[in-house]
Amino acid sequence: MSSKTADPPLRSAAWRISLWATLAYACGTMMAFAGLHNFVARDLQRRNDAWLSGEAGTLADVAERTPKDALYGRVVSEVAELAEKEVPDRLLSGPTPDDAVFFLQTGAGGAMKLWVGAGNGRANWQAIQSAVITPGSPTDIDVKGFAIPYRVAAAATNDGSRIYLGLSERDQLRVLRHLRQRFLFLWLLLVLLGFGIVFATTRRMLSHVRKITQAASRIGHSDLTARVPTTNRNDEVSHLAHTLNHMLERIENAMHQLHTITDALAHDLRSPLTAIRGKLEMSLSTAHGGQAESIVSALEEVDRLTDFLNKSLDVAEAKADALRLIRSPVDLDEVLRIMINLYEPSLAEKNIRIALDSRGPLKIEADEGLIHRMLANLFDNELKHLPPGHSVRWKLESAGRSALLTLEDDGPGFDPEIAARLFERRVKGNASNGHGLGMAFVDAVARAHGGSATACNRQPAGARIVIALPVSAFPFAPSASR
Amino acid sequence: MRLLLVEDEIDIQHFLKTSLEEAGYQVDAAIDGQSAQRLAADHLYDILVVDLGLPDQDGIGLILRLRQMGVKAPVLILSARRSVDDRVRGLEQGGDDYLTKPFALAELLARLRNLLKRNSPAGSEATRLRVLDLELDLLRREASRGGELLQLTPQEFVLLEYLCRNAGRVVTRSMILDKVWGMRIQPDTNVVDVHIYRLRGKVDGKGQQPLIRTLRGVGYVLKDR
Repeated sequence: MSSKTADPPLRSAAWRISLWATLAYACGTMMAFAGLHNFVARDLQRRNDAWLSGEAGTLADVAERTPKDALYGRVVSEVAELAEKEVPDRLLSGPTPDDAVFFLQTGAGGAMKLWVGAGNGRANWQAIQSAVITPGSPTDIDVKGFAIPYRVAAAATNDGSRIYLGLSERDQLRVLRHLRQRFLFLWLLLVLLGFGIVFATTRRMLSHVRKITQAASRIGHSDLTARVPTTNRNDEVSHLAHTLNHMLERIENAMHQLHTITDALAHDLRSPLTAIRGKLEMSLSTAHGGQAESIVSALEEVDRLTDFLNKSLDVAEAKADALRLIRSPVDLDEVLRIMINLYEPSLAEKNIRIALDSRGPLKIEADEGLIHRMLANLFDNELKHLPPGHSVRWKLESAGRSALLTLEDDGPGFDPEIAARLFERRVKGNASNGHGLGMAFVDAVARAHGGSATACNRQPAGARIVIALPVSAFPFAPSASR
Repeated sequence: MRLLLVEDEIDIQHFLKTSLEEAGYQVDAAIDGQSAQRLAADHLYDILVVDLGLPDQDGIGLILRLRQMGVKAPVLILSARRSVDDRVRGLEQGGDDYLTKPFALAELLARLRNLLKRNSPAGSEATRLRVLDLELDLLRREASRGGELLQLTPQEFVLLEYLCRNAGRVVTRSMILDKVWGMRIQPDTNVVDVHIYRLRGKVDGKGQQPLIRTLRGVGYVLKDR
């Protein structure tokens, strides 16, 4: 069984569950982060804007109050440089050119009057001119030569000049980029961890279900006294196991009841049959002539009655899925060859040819005695009903986890009236003198093994019976490919 | 050969006792487990025939108790039940045999003989079988009658060998199917008869004394005298 219980994780439903759960989890956290990111970005913007507006106002104030003498430019420039040092989110290290902040003052006429910042400020001034910047509401401008836009706040002085303070959004974007990178790293870690945890948990949960399935499949086919494993936890899986066990209990009782009835019936009928047969045999040893003839025919009747009784009970039990099997490895190829060897002379007497199409040994787990009796039924049928001069062909092949036995003849086929109900009890052709159990028995044996029997008429003529038998006793074991 | 028969149905017990005595056994019959135990304590039996459904106790229980008492003789279990109990299978593995009711007398006798043979020290296996003027070479798988080689198929040889090993005794169709083809089936056609018919055509030639006899309703017998 060890090879059967081996459970390839790739086929587990745990994958699907974990994938979906992880996807939902990843999307959720991603959305939460997007919200957070948005909030942080806006907050940074707000802080920058507050700083820009404040500093621009201060600078405008300074510019207003400072006397317009030779020192004016230096004073304003120094104040502006000092302001640059207080830039929020400033990256202190690094030899980057100090282009993070610029200060620009225009005269009343609109000409550039004072510039503090990297370069000569012409590009910045052009960008400011093309944008409309009103005091009090900082605006983004794209400056030629700089990849990252500047945030610019304006302030007006009483003398008609304007103060522009620009702050590169580089630092703000850098902060956000770091935030994203860190989040992405953590997010990946969390998603992987989450996937791992969900996968491990579902697999553990499903392993209980798998054990239950295995046990149940084993129980259904062989041993009704066994029970599926239960756990002490009070969860759904444990409820499932308990419910299954409860159900098995009732099935076992019903089966036991059925077996008791069929056993009692068999016993009560077989005992008198044994006595009758024994007495007949004893009287046969001393009988002569016509008397012997009638005893012989009575003996034959007793044997037919016994066979009928056995088959009836087998069919009855099989219809209730209660036929008791004793499984062992059976090579269908070998069985068919022996059967053909046994029936060939009788068929040849009737001028019926028989052929076997098989690719060699094909072993299945089955009740050998029942398989023999089932095949004997089919051979008997052909022998009794196929008109002389026809041929019978057996084909044995393996199809997935099943062995397929196909019996074909080129005779008249099934009577259309009974073809549909062929596998029912008491259904037989008008010409048949059997008890109408043969095909029901064939179906019963196939079903008891977890297989099936089907029959149809061939075109242009002939009958075909296909019997599918599972190779292994537990076709629903989870490792079986389905 | 002393035989203990444990069977509660009087009718069956009666005909079994008569038939077994006719076959040469000295038969003591018990109607239930109690009396069987008493008999087994007083006498030494070579073989036992025990029905599973006894009125006072389970047949298997009786067999196990007899074994505990030191009874070592092989047991042929008779049963009218449908299912073969696991414990019966255990006994089968232990060297006992099992027969389902109803059965042919010939089969009962054959199984008893087998059980007794199994329990007696095995003689060296013969390589030749001889019945009247019929001779089988088991190593070369050849049969001859009156010195003349018979053209038999391998299957026919196995069938003839089985008949020869049971020469003088009746074998039923079920026994032939079981021993020659290895199948416990009950065909409602004459498959075995056709094989016998073919074999007879080869063994019993024109002008020769017919060896293979058909006993209608019972089976076949290979004459040994």
